[in-house]
Amino acid sequence: MTKKSKTPCSTTLFEPCWWLCEPIYEDATMTDRSTRISNAIDSLITHIVPTAPNEDEASAQARHNNCFELVKNILESPGSPSIASDVNHASDLIKRKLIQTNPSQALRFSNLYTRLLSLPVLNQKWAILYLLYQLSDSPDPNEPQPISPARPSPSSHSVAREAAQRQQGKERAERHDRTERLDRSGRQSKASTPAPSSQQDEVIKDAFAPGGLRRFPPDNARQGPEEEKASPSQSSGTEIRKDARNVSLKSTLLAVNSVEIEPPESALLRDLPFTLQGLSSTTLPFSKENTLKLPPTLPPPIISLLHTLAEPSLLYRGLSDFVKSPAGGLLGQSIRSAINTELRSYLSLVATLEAQIRRALSSLDESAPRGGIGKAGVTLKRCVVWTREATMGLRLLSLIAEESKNKRGGQLISLIHGFSTAHGDPIVAAFAERLLAHVTRPFYEILRRWIYDGELQDPFLEFFVKEQRPSEDDRKDMKAKGLMSSWNSKYEVDDAMVPSIITADFAQKVFLIGKSLNFIRHSCNDSAWVEAYSKTSSKELRYGDTATLESWIDEAYKTTMARLMSLMDTKFHLFDHLQAMKNYILLGQGDFIALLMESLAGNLDRPAGAQYRHTLTAQLEHAIRGSNAQYDSPEVLRRLDARMLQLSHGDIGWDCFTLEYKVDSPVDVVITEWGNRQYLKVFNFLWRIKRVEFALSQTWRKCMTGARGVLQSTDPTVLQTWKSTRGTLAEMVHFVGQLQYYILFEVIESSWSELQRNIRREGCTLDELLQAHTAYLQAITQKGLLGARRKQHSPSTDLDNAEDRNSYMVQLGELLRTMLAYRDSVDGLYSWSVSDFTARQEADAAELLRHHNRSPDGGGDLHDPFAKQVKSELPALQERLRLLGSNFRTRLQILLGDLAYQPDVDMRFLGVAMNFNDVYQPAVKRRNKAATAGGGTAGEKGSEKGKEKG
Amino acid sequence: MPDERSEKQAAAQQAVDILHEISTILNCHLDRRMLSICISMIENGVNPEALATVVKELRAETQNGLAEAAPRRR
Repeated sequence: MTKKSKTPCSTTLFEPCWWLCEPIYEDATMTDRSTRISNAIDSLITHIVPTAPNEDEASAQARHNNCFELVKNILESPGSPSIASDVNHASDLIKRKLIQTNPSQALRFSNLYTRLLSLPVLNQKWAILYLLYQLSDSPDPNEPQPISPARPSPSSHSVAREAAQRQQGKERAERHDRTERLDRSGRQSKASTPAPSSQQDEVIKDAFAPGGLRRFPPDNARQGPEEEKASPSQSSGTEIRKDARNVSLKSTLLAVNSVEIEPPESALLRDLPFTLQGLSSTTLPFSKENTLKLPPTLPPPIISLLHTLAEPSLLYRGLSDFVKSPAGGLLGQSIRSAINTELRSYLSLVATLEAQIRRALSSLDESAPRGGIGKAGVTLKRCVVWTREATMGLRLLSLIAEESKNKRGGQLISLIHGFSTAHGDPIVAAFAERLLAHVTRPFYEILRRWIYDGELQDPFLEFFVKEQRPSEDDRKDMKAKGLMSSWNSKYEVDDAMVPSIITADFAQKVFLIGKSLNFIRHSCNDSAWVEAYSKTSSKELRYGDTATLESWIDEAYKTTMARLMSLMDTKFHLFDHLQAMKNYILLGQGDFIALLMESLAGNLDRPAGAQYRHTLTAQLEHAIRGSNAQYDSPEVLRRLDARMLQLSHGDIGWDCFTLEYKVDSPVDVVITEWGNRQYLKVFNFLWRIKRVEFALSQTWRKCMTGARGVLQSTDPTVLQTWKSTRGTLAEMVHFVGQLQYYILFEVIESSWSELQRNIRREGCTLDELLQAHTAYLQAITQKGLLGARRKQHSPSTDLDNAEDRNSYMVQLGELLRTMLAYRDSVDGLYSWSVSDFTARQEADAAELLRHHNRSPDGGGDLHDPFAKQVKSELPALQERLRLLGSNFRTRLQILLGDLAYQPDVDMRFLGVAMNFNDVYQPAVKRRNKAATAGGGTAGEKGSEKGKEKG
Repeated sequence: MPDERSEKQAAAQQAVDILHEISTILNCHLDRRMLSICISMIENGVNPEALATVVKELRAETQNGLAEAAPRRR
């Protein structure tokens, strides 16, 4: 439109006014009007149609005339009368159009419209608006027609003007672009413009057909059905033309610059589906397992495209190999199957792609440049785009396949789970999640069998619970340590195999459930319950809903544990057994123990070799019958047994005798061998105390009864000896009494109530019971003065060991031995006194006889040496008693000194109870003594050294 | 009546302004001069639909002419 106007008009400012100079009057004649119109047409033509620069005047004139005729024809052809000459109608059309495409502009339009309405000058506002509406979204006449190269710039123009025009044109182009993007509806009218003129004529004819409204189709979407019918050729034709224009534009541009390649792109495309499936083809052969050979004749851009396309092909090959490779386990198989499924969907993509390529290739126009590939719509580039997402998936798959080669079971799941949770790319995460659902299926199957049936069905050792298979040596070792039980050593958790979809806590729970079920089935012989349980509560477990899974497992956990505990309680009388252990082994049943001791005492004083099992069991039976123990259940009494420990030379019966309580299969899980040994240890200790008490009380009784008869003496030294002996005996009785009281009531009873509280608690599991029982035993041995006195964290030198051996156990042993020795001495004194008494009686009788017979012959001589001999025994006895007494006292003071510094309150209290009236001086100095004696810990040594330095 | 005349001129100027703006919104690709010609024709009673066809036709003519000219020049 860059044409200088022939109409005189100097500045744009006056332009709008020129028609005003000739105002339209109602009475203007027809000729007047037509001349004005023809003038206007003239100027319009010159304005729009440019004169080609190299055209001569005549042809330009001819063209002008042609145009003029054309315009005249159009204008004079009968207009459509049906168009409502209503200003609102036109504006509504515009508004509707704008609202669809650009709401903000619509607002602006309505503003402008109201302003226009208020202007007084125009008579035919609707017509103008309608014109604008008709012209809306027409292509910029400045733009070159797409296919044609840039229009030659008219050289005859003044430079300034051209610049201005260009500027304007650019702005318009921008606007045009913008609206084109926004406005799809406008394409139709736009596209129709550059069409060939024959079609154009048709369109025009069509447009001029009578029919009013239907010629304002604002967009295709709003076209009614009747309009579709009326102008099907028009709408579809324009659609096709539009597409054709887009594609043809690109392909033309490409065609100009394209070079023929060898092999042609069509051949490459034909072979591409095979390549994508990992098959060799003529143009793209796979030279080796994982090498794709590209034709060397291709230009670099095509090569790089083929590189991109080769990636999925190679990955696919690798993956299909992986899928075919043998899997070492259920999870390995499931991962292969999951990958296979993914590969199948990839193949279906390839199939679709192939169909596209086939269709495109069949419609190929061989004569067109580049084999007409550009027009067909399928190119290598498009294939790259289409396979892009699939390539991502294949990449991830092959990564997983690669990593899974040296992983098994739970580790595989952890690997994929890692991708699904710890990968930032949501596509990767979703992909892995999908894969996970397939892969975890066998895992959940194993899990289901485990937590509902208690069976480990894991042929490839992929589950995180595994059977323990210690070597033969280990097994012996474990058995020796008493750790071997069907509860503890049948299964174990393999931490490395716990998949990350399960927390460690959870894994432990799962482990316990299965272990309990297994235990119930095999050790408790209650497989009927297990089967019923697995039938009723078995659920399909699958990956995904972790919360539900957890609640199910919690439920299973509670059920199994409750069942196990109730079995232990009712069927195996675990609590009864514990009670019995306490009663008999821990000497809770006083009358029974007293009777047993009384009946056995005579027997046990004999050497160990002279003890016979039948006598022991007979005495035991007697003790049971004679005491309240007879009312205990036979189940318990059956298990009670008396026997001798291993003999060693010089032992007497007391040292070897032991009571035993036998427990069998399921209960021995709780009362383990270790536990049994602890019980025995405590029993032996208590038995010794009891024995000393028994012995002391016997002696005490003898002394008391003897004091009124045989022990009466006139000798003050003898009397004095007896007095001090009785004092020491009383001390000993007090000591033993306190010790027994402490162990039976402060230690055993309190630990027992603690144990009861723990195991009677709601929801107590077997493991908790085991723990509670172990704690119970430990408390008894520790507080019951049986444990090591010092912790063994100091370096274990001989000194330390010596110190260690100097524990309460040793001290008490010494004390008890001292007491027994003292008792023996007292017995010796008693016998001496008795013999002294009888001697005196005999002497008196002899005196009497001599008095009667008056024959002082050898009787006195005969008596004298004997009396002298007996008399000489007294000082030795005195000495011995005194020594043992003081020995006892020193040892007791040492013990008291140790007890006073004990962290445990109960043990400190024992010291207080023994020394309630401060008759003893607790030996605080003992440490120094021990240190000088060569004992003592490193700390004491240190302090000793410090003292020496000081 | 110079007053009335200049008033009218101003109004006409305004009208052209407004219409030009609308045409910009609608992407009509009309410059002011063409707009003025069109307005005058319509005011003179030309059918707007016919006029629209004319404008399109003339534009097409131009394009064709150029298209023809182009190969000739090549």
